[in-house]
Amino acid sequence: MPVSNKTVVGRYRIIPIIQDGAMSDAHTAQATPPVQLANGLPGSLVADWHDKAISRLGELLQERRGLQVFMDTCTKCGACTDKCHYFLGTADPKNMPVARQDLLRSVYRRYFTFAGKYFPTLVGARDLDKAMLEDWYRYFHQCSECRRCTVFCPKGIDTSEVTMAGREILACIGIGQHYSQEIISKVNTVGNNLGMKKPALANVLESLEEDIAEDTGLVIRLPLDDDGADMLVVTPSADFFAEPHVDGLIGMVKVLHASGIRWTFSSTASEAANFALFTGQHDQMQLIAQRISLAAQQLGVKRIVMGECGHAWRVAYGFLDTLVGGLDYLDPAHPRPEHICELSHQLLQAGLITLDSERNAGKVVTFHDSCNVARGSGMGGVKGGQFTIPRALLKACVPQLVDMSKDTTHQKTFCCGGGGGLLTDDLMDVRIKGALPRAQALQAVVDAHKVTHLVAICAICKTQLSQVLPHHDLGEIQITSLHQLLGDALVL
Amino acid sequence: MLDYPSLRVVFDIALGVAYTLALLWLVCGTVFRTTIWLRSRSRFLIPLAPAPVSHAGVAGRLALELFTFRSLARASKTTWLASLAFHYGLLWLLFVHLRFVFEVLPLFLVPFIQFSGLASLCFMLGLSVLLLRRLLVDRIRYISSPSDYLHLLLLLAIGLSGTLLKRVWPSSLTEVGEFLRGVFTLGWAPLPDHAGLLLHLLLVLVLMLIFPISKLVHGVGVVFSPTFNQRDLG
Repeated sequence: MPVSNKTVVGRYRIIPIIQDGAMSDAHTAQATPPVQLANGLPGSLVADWHDKAISRLGELLQERRGLQVFMDTCTKCGACTDKCHYFLGTADPKNMPVARQDLLRSVYRRYFTFAGKYFPTLVGARDLDKAMLEDWYRYFHQCSECRRCTVFCPKGIDTSEVTMAGREILACIGIGQHYSQEIISKVNTVGNNLGMKKPALANVLESLEEDIAEDTGLVIRLPLDDDGADMLVVTPSADFFAEPHVDGLIGMVKVLHASGIRWTFSSTASEAANFALFTGQHDQMQLIAQRISLAAQQLGVKRIVMGECGHAWRVAYGFLDTLVGGLDYLDPAHPRPEHICELSHQLLQAGLITLDSERNAGKVVTFHDSCNVARGSGMGGVKGGQFTIPRALLKACVPQLVDMSKDTTHQKTFCCGGGGGLLTDDLMDVRIKGALPRAQALQAVVDAHKVTHLVAICAICKTQLSQVLPHHDLGEIQITSLHQLLGDALVL
Repeated sequence: MLDYPSLRVVFDIALGVAYTLALLWLVCGTVFRTTIWLRSRSRFLIPLAPAPVSHAGVAGRLALELFTFRSLARASKTTWLASLAFHYGLLWLLFVHLRFVFEVLPLFLVPFIQFSGLASLCFMLGLSVLLLRRLLVDRIRYISSPSDYLHLLLLLAIGLSGTLLKRVWPSSLTEVGEFLRGVFTLGWAPLPDHAGLLLHLLLVLVLMLIFPISKLVHGVGVVFSPTFNQRDLG
């Protein structure tokens, strides 16, 4: 049952008056020297940071066409100024997408354009000084790279590309963000973001098998490094232990069990996430992606399925082929990575799984479109499949599904407020404020339809919303994996 | 008898020569700008999803963005309407200026010339709205540099001086035609002595000179934006 806009309170439409410097004290810890060094980066801010930053910017302009075009084509029309959840939540003008881009663009103009070299004041060109560097670090870490602003930009400017470039330069001159860089170092050395080694992972899977057996009386396996498997399942490592993610994992393995496909997890690719997308480090993004492809080849699987993770899906859907140099070893019938929702949907349509929505009686569900899925990928080979497939699955497994206001869903979905490498405690203030538009849209359907569950298909969304919604008086809303509801409704 | 014909000729044709050079610069500069975009590598596909899967779909998306400013319509109806009025007014007026290029007025231009008043109105009203919101809306004021205001003022001044020439203070259409044809054929002719006309033409000269090296190049840039022009290959 779609929700008409009339029933929506729509407080997110109130655009704040700008408050200069409102978020200037937000700070995420800089990567420690060992973490920087582990990722092949300088341990701390290099002495010639100014020259190095400018020369790196020059290289990135030549390596990333989007960046070069976006630097040149902005007309400061202001279309994006009221579209970012961080601006709506904080009122800090540097959180307006164009102002965030201008942190880099003003420097670009100063060093790379005629007008900026000779008439800097006229065109708003700025020297790269210490204050600018601090603004780069501060405000490029208040962007979740969700691309909502791009939807409204008449030039198609993608702020995430600018943020990624900014962070890449910062990491190169010695000041990466600790949270993301540490995760990248762990995934490189251990195989997942948590640093969970194979025995620990095997233990977790075993105890999950026991839990499922206790709950359902069924023997459902969670195989690890099964050599004869046909399908590799790669899921965010949060699924192995975090709440509410792990219930989604259980639902997922129930569906996989019902599918009859022989599948496996991999201990070397026990992580779907690729935080190098967030930091803009293409070399690292490639290493992390290759790990998945390598595991798939070593296990001899013919299919790769990605679990519920937003940016991992973007990387798998849009970049994996390029990053690993082809996926020819996959089954021609499944030539590219598939989303777990896509697989479940195929099974449902083929009548291979049966869902009984009565098993979820009493639940009123709304769906939060995750930014990277909504605006960075597709699903199921149909246009807009990333919107229709999850909703079709939910309709089949819950009695009542309602949509939030349409300017907060589908392509115009608001980020949860914790994406893009911001899901760290030291940015909690930014995260709480950034979740405001989503919370307001959710409040409206809670009021109108007594919504009880907010469903997401992204590990970051789930963690973030569980942690910050209580700050918006929405603590009673259950944040739920799509596959938890699916698994609960599954007739085995 | 003292005679400096050569110097007088230089003054007479200086503006014509400048116009020819400015046109060359406009074309070459814009082409050069696009080569900078094209030389930059494009390793990853970053279309804004949901994205078209076919080339025809991409062409459709670009056409919608170029001719209807679709994304801007999503963002703000006021800005969208003002931008449409200004850009289509400008296009109309540019088209009307073809009258100067032809020695004999072509018939197909007549209806366009008849409604050029309306086009001017759209052009200047649209620009005024854009200028006003830049001045009045705190967010837009925050992101504006002096050049952002000057671009709008330059266009407004061109529109005002043009309207003045048309309605209040006319000059010889035939002579302006000879001047403009000279710009294209390299047979430079002098302008009629007319301060208003000189002002109008000088402002347009400035516009042509800054076009390739300023944000004015955005119209071309839209086509090169990877979020718009890439396909969904999934």
